[in-house]
Amino acid sequence: MSALSHRRGTRVAAFANKARVLLATWFAHMIAYRAEIVIWTIGGCVPLIMMAVWIGQAQARGGRIDGYTAAGFASYFLAAWITQQMLVSWAVWELDRLIRMGELSPKLLRPLDPMWEQLAAHVAEKAVRVPLILIIAVAGMLLVPGARVTPDIAHVLVYILSVVLAFAIRFLIAYSLGLLAFWISQATALDELYYVVFTFAGGGFAPLTLYPAMAQAIVAWTPFPYLVYYPVRVLTGVSGRAEVLHVLLVQCLWLAAAWGLRSMLWRTGLRRYGAVGA
Amino acid sequence: MSSVRVLPPGGGRTFRSGGGDTMIEVENLQKHYLVSEKEPGFVGSLRSFVRRRNRTVRAVDGVSFAIEAGEMVGFLGPNGAGKTTTLKMLSGLLHPTGGAVRVAGYTPRQRRSDFLKTITLVMGQKQQLIWDLPAYDSFLVNQAIYEIPDVRFKATMREFGEILDLEGILKKQVRKLSLGERMKCELAAALLHYPKVLFLDEPTIGLDINMQLRIREFIAAYNLRHQATVILTSHYMADVTALCRRIIVVDKGRIVFDGDLSALIERAAPGKIIRLQLSRPVPAARLAEYATVQRCEGLDIELLVPRGETTALAARLLADLPIADVTIEDPSIEEVIGQVFSGAHRALVPGPRALEPVPA
Repeated sequence: MSALSHRRGTRVAAFANKARVLLATWFAHMIAYRAEIVIWTIGGCVPLIMMAVWIGQAQARGGRIDGYTAAGFASYFLAAWITQQMLVSWAVWELDRLIRMGELSPKLLRPLDPMWEQLAAHVAEKAVRVPLILIIAVAGMLLVPGARVTPDIAHVLVYILSVVLAFAIRFLIAYSLGLLAFWISQATALDELYYVVFTFAGGGFAPLTLYPAMAQAIVAWTPFPYLVYYPVRVLTGVSGRAEVLHVLLVQCLWLAAAWGLRSMLWRTGLRRYGAVGA
Repeated sequence: MSSVRVLPPGGGRTFRSGGGDTMIEVENLQKHYLVSEKEPGFVGSLRSFVRRRNRTVRAVDGVSFAIEAGEMVGFLGPNGAGKTTTLKMLSGLLHPTGGAVRVAGYTPRQRRSDFLKTITLVMGQKQQLIWDLPAYDSFLVNQAIYEIPDVRFKATMREFGEILDLEGILKKQVRKLSLGERMKCELAAALLHYPKVLFLDEPTIGLDINMQLRIREFIAAYNLRHQATVILTSHYMADVTALCRRIIVVDKGRIVFDGDLSALIERAAPGKIIRLQLSRPVPAARLAEYATVQRCEGLDIELLVPRGETTALAARLLADLPIADVTIEDPSIEEVIGQVFSGAHRALVPGPRALEPVPA
């Protein structure tokens, strides 16, 4: 083995080791917080409320609104709930605290971008949350007539891929909002605003095709439909091959943009942190 | 007041690129902050909303020094003197407003991985340990992040565990540790990667005497074993006297003294106290022939003596007077430093510590 490829091999091993240890540690941390995770999971129930609203509407208007039956709404909002659960991020709160309380300093002393530790914590939290999501999803399918996800394993695999991309985008957006704490004192307020915009533009209140044409046109230029609406269509098995490819491609573009945004904010933010007080 | 400055040869402009003997070089280092001032209360808020008043604070105002590899230097100064700000610039957290810093051949503010693996900064007790997990988990995280091989990690944990007495602490949740236990863990975690340069900001603050002693011993042992360079700030003079021969005193962002601890005491307090216990009374006028009488209460006498004449004078006193007991004392370091800060170091204040007991 050449010296160069040996060094690369060591670096890969070191990276894998960091990932393993960080994930294991934060998994242990999240296990300690399991009760809170149950509460947070139950707390994110807007799609389930909207499900009841729209099923009622569909039944009142002769069983169908713009192509969606009561069962269609049930499936849509169940998938929307699952997807939103997979996108949960508290990075804004974490960064806001780290930056304003000066707790970022010890993390800056270590030779690892603090983002990776945050990411590990989020992934570890998902490992605790996913079983819970599955239980509630199965219960939902048993309790709500017509609530179904696609039985097609290929669709499920594509959904997993697209929801991972969606999470990565959401994480980087949250991280970027959190980095604004370098400049403003209430970055967490922006996350509240984000949640409203995200729920509306992502299709959390209704399938996007039910929105006014104007709203649909605007929303199409944001990343939000690619975080919830389109992955939901994949999971409910209604998107075709062309749509799937389009969704994955656009998700990659938004991911690149979010990555660029967070890198830029991190660089300039650190300069400010170093200038005005760490 | 003049200051004894140790400047690198050639005015310090020529920085060596590491590997040399000089580990830390600081030249005319400055850090200025712009702070906005607001009068208290509602009216003050309104006024500052209309017209903001800004003021420049010179936290560090032209500091220069050089520290050799393996040196332990005590950084002293009153609160707000600029000690922590300087340490933060040395470790790359703060960017200097002006001047140059070089640590182990690196420019700290660039925060290169190799630089970060070379240094450590310890400040306060709530730093890098994960609050809700046993301390050992945080050590494992640091092992991975600093890429420490298993064999070395285990050896280090054994070494640190022995000196710091970490037995039984590592498996407890960090939130349940006492202040002292947590500080020991913080220190061990901060040194796990064997840094060559240690910046320790008040490592013993809030700890009891035993724990202070233990931390002090640990730092001394680490310095000895790894030839580490240490800058230490502390409010406990004992930390500094036990660990550091060289002292840098800063005040209002400037260095007011840089040199040997003994030289500082000599400069600031050029005299000693001779304390006499007489066996029968002697008139004060007679005592005054020997030296300044500071206290005269029955048989207890305190004389103020110039440093150089102490021994000769003590011998004369013993020969001439009916003396039951003699002690010669240095003024306490606390008093000396206090005088350096206040700038009034002409007066001589006695301290409680007997440095050279002389048998009667």
